[in-house]
Amino acid sequence: MRNVFEVMLLLLLLLLPLVTAHAGGQPNSPPGKPVLTSCRSPEKETFTCWWKPGSDGGLSTKHSLFYRKESSDAVHECPDYRTAGENSCFFNKNNTAIWVNYNITVVATNSLGSAYSDPVEVDVVYIVQPNPPENVTVSVMEDKGWPFLRVSWEPPRKADTRSGWITLVYELRVKLKEEDDWETHLAGQQKMFNILSLPSGGEYQVEVRCRPDHGFWSEWSSTSKANVPHHFRRDNSTWILMTVFFAFTFLIVAWLLHLNRHNLKRCILPPVPGPKIKGFDKKLLKSGKSNEIFSALVVPDYPSTPSSNYEDLLVDYLEVYVPTERELQLEESKDPHDDRLKSDSSTSDSDSGRGSCDSHTLLVDKEAKEEARQAECGQTRTEVQRSLKDWDALTYAQIDMVGRDVPSGRVKTWPSLYSPLPRHSSGPLDQQSSLQMAKQHSLSTSSFLAQEASGESYWDVCSHGELPRPLRAKTPPHRGLRARSDADVSGAGLKRAPAGPRSLAPHTSEYVEVQRVNNKDVVLLQPVVTGCYQALPGEVYSKVKRVDSDNILLLQREAREEDGYPGAEQENTTQKASACVYAAVLVQDQMAPMVNGYVDTATMCTLTC
Amino acid sequence: MARHTGTFGSKLLPTVLYMVAACSAIPITDLLDRASQRSDQLHSLSTTLTQDLDSHLPLTVRLTLPRPSVCHTASLQTPNDKEQALQVPESDLLSLARSLLQAWEDPLVFLSTSANFLPHPAQNAISNKIQELRDHSKSLGDGLNILSGKMGPGARTISMLPYTGGNDVGQDTISQLINLNFLLSCFRRDSHKIDSFLKILRCRATGLPQMC
Repeated sequence: MRNVFEVMLLLLLLLLPLVTAHAGGQPNSPPGKPVLTSCRSPEKETFTCWWKPGSDGGLSTKHSLFYRKESSDAVHECPDYRTAGENSCFFNKNNTAIWVNYNITVVATNSLGSAYSDPVEVDVVYIVQPNPPENVTVSVMEDKGWPFLRVSWEPPRKADTRSGWITLVYELRVKLKEEDDWETHLAGQQKMFNILSLPSGGEYQVEVRCRPDHGFWSEWSSTSKANVPHHFRRDNSTWILMTVFFAFTFLIVAWLLHLNRHNLKRCILPPVPGPKIKGFDKKLLKSGKSNEIFSALVVPDYPSTPSSNYEDLLVDYLEVYVPTERELQLEESKDPHDDRLKSDSSTSDSDSGRGSCDSHTLLVDKEAKEEARQAECGQTRTEVQRSLKDWDALTYAQIDMVGRDVPSGRVKTWPSLYSPLPRHSSGPLDQQSSLQMAKQHSLSTSSFLAQEASGESYWDVCSHGELPRPLRAKTPPHRGLRARSDADVSGAGLKRAPAGPRSLAPHTSEYVEVQRVNNKDVVLLQPVVTGCYQALPGEVYSKVKRVDSDNILLLQREAREEDGYPGAEQENTTQKASACVYAAVLVQDQMAPMVNGYVDTATMCTLTC
Repeated sequence: MARHTGTFGSKLLPTVLYMVAACSAIPITDLLDRASQRSDQLHSLSTTLTQDLDSHLPLTVRLTLPRPSVCHTASLQTPNDKEQALQVPESDLLSLARSLLQAWEDPLVFLSTSANFLPHPAQNAISNKIQELRDHSKSLGDGLNILSGKMGPGARTISMLPYTGGNDVGQDTISQLINLNFLLSCFRRDSHKIDSFLKILRCRATGLPQMC
C-alpha cells in the first residue's frame, strides 16, 4: 500500500507540470501592454485612475501604477489599489495636489517580463466629473388653473459648492412615461426649476445631472415621477386659432364667390331678354347710328320710297319667264316672292327681285362662254337629250323689274338666246306669222336652252303671249313648249313653215332675234346669222324706251328710234351685222362686269314694240 | 480759454463724483460676479487655444521632446488643495489673482506677435483667439483693479512675476510649436487659478452658502 502511494505521488509530481502546461494551451509570454483608460475626480479633492490590462501571457500578472509629480523626479506608487475597485488606483486627499501635473504609468508584470503603459499627464482640476445630483423631487403645482411641474434637487454630497470650491451648473430632462424623446432644460446654477409647458396629463419622468464650470457632465440622476391630471388648454391661443381659422375660411369662400360672380349674377339677376326683331342688330343700337339700324330693319323687297315717276320704274334689263302649264302648276305650290327673297338674301344684293338669277350658279362661266361661242359659230347640235338632262342644273330665268340705278354696279349680263329660225321667215309678218315666229323662236329657244344647259347659262326666253307671267325654262316646260309649238306650228298650217322648225330645232344652229313685241303681246322675231362679233352701229338696242302697260319693256335703238324691222334689202347686212353683235354669253366672269345702267346689246334680248 | 477750461473742469468734477458714486453703488457681489464671468471666459478661451495647438502636434513628439517644465509664474505661492485655498483671506486671494493676471500681460504680447508667424494651418484663427485673450485679460484686470479698492489694503499688493522666457521661440517648426504649446498651457493653468479664486470670493461675498 505504501508502494502504491509513493508511485501515485511520483506520478502526480510528474504529471503536474504537464497538466499545468496543458491547461495553458499556449506558450507563456510577457504580459501585454496595459492602457490607462481614464482618471476622474469627483470633487476636485481626490481622484481615481483606471486602466485596462493587456493579455496576461498565460501567467499571473501583477499591475502597478507609478506616478511622478511635475516638479519632482520622485516616483511614487499608487497608494490605494482597492478603494476604487479592480484595476484602479485611488488618490486620497493627502496624495492629491491641484494645479500640479501628474505623470502616471501602469506596469504589468509577470514572471516572464513586464509591460509599461503609455504615460498620461493629468492635472486634477481638469478631470472633474461630479456625482449626479441628489434628492430630485418633482411636484405638481397649479398656476391659474394650469398645472406645472416643480423640480428641485440637491448637489452631490461630495462636491463642496457651499464654499465655492466647485461651481456646478445643472440640467434636467423630462418626458411622459410612454414617450421616447426627452425634453432637456438648462437650469444654470439654480437648484429648482419649473416646467410649465405640459402638453397633456399623465405620468411624467424627470432626471437631473450636473457639471462643474470646467469639467465633465455627471451621470443622470435616478428618475423621479409625477402624475399630472388631465386638463384641456382653453386659453387665448385657442381663441386666436379659431378666429384665424374662420377668417381663413371666410376669405376662401369670398374668393370663390368672386371667381363665380358672373354665374351668380346670371342666377340672381337674370338678363332681360332683348328684342327679337329680324334684322335688328343690338350692336348697331349700342353704337347709336340710327340710320344703320333702320336700314337693317328695312325688308329688302319692301319699297322704301314710293315712286310715282315712270323713270324710277324703268329697268335696265328684263328677265323674262316663260310660264307653261306645268310650270304654273308647279308654281302654285311655291311662293315666288319667297324664292326671290331667298335668293336675294343668299347673294345679299340690295336690288330687289333678282332672285335666283343673281345666284352665282346661274352666272355663266368661261367654259360656258366658250361653248356658246362655238355653238354660235355654226356647230350642229345633236345632243338634245343630253342637254335636256343637264338642264336640271339650271334653275330659271325670271322677269323682274329692276331700278335703273344699280347700287352695286353689278351687271347681270344675260346671254341672250336666239333660236334658229328659217331664213325665209324674214320679211313683213302678219300676226299669224308673227305668232309662228314666236313659237318657233320659243321652240328654238327651248332647244337652244337645252343645248346650252350644260354650260349653266342664263337665257332670256322671250315670251310669246304671256309676258307678265314669270317665265321658267325647265325641262318639262321645254318639252311642253316644244310640244306646243310643234302643235301650233303643225296646226297653223303655215305655208312657209315646213317641218323644218320642228326638225330644225334640235339640229340647226340658226338664231333669231326679237324684232318687236306688238300690242297683242306677240314677240316678233327675226333671224340672226351667227358669226363673229361685229358691232352694229345702227342697230344697237340697248336703251329702254319705256315700259308699256302690262309690263312691256320697250327698247330703242341708240342712234334713232325705229320700231320697225329694217327692210329686206338690208337683210343681209343686218343679218350679218346683227348676228355678230348678238352673241350669247358675254359674262366676263362670275362676278359680272360692271355696266352703268345700260345693257350690253350682245347679251340682251331686244324687244321692240 | 479760461472759460473753456472752467467749463471743462466744472464738467469733470461731477462726472468723477458720479462715477465714484456709481461704482460704489454697485454691490461687491455683482462686481465679483462680473469678474468671475470674465475669468470664466478667459479660461475657456485658453483651453480651446491649447487644444487647437495640440491637435497639430503629435502626442509622441509632445511628450518625448524636452520642454521647459516650469512656468514663469511658478514662483508665486498658491494653495495646493482645497483646505489651503479656503484658508487664504479674501484680500490675499484677490492679490494673487491680480498678480497672476499682471504676470501675463507681456507674454500675451509675445504670443500674439509670434502667432503671426506660426507654422500652423489654423494660424489665423489662433491669432484671433490670442487677441481675444488679450482683450479679456485687460478688461478683467481693470475690473480687479476696481475691486481691489473695496477689499482692503492687502488686495492692492501685486507680486511682480517677470517673464523670463525671452523672445526666442525657437529655430525650427517643432520647437516653435512646443514652446508655444507650453506657454499656453501655463496660461491655461494660471487662468484657472484666477477663476477659482474669484469664484471662492464671489461665494464668500454673498454670505449665503446655499446660493453658491
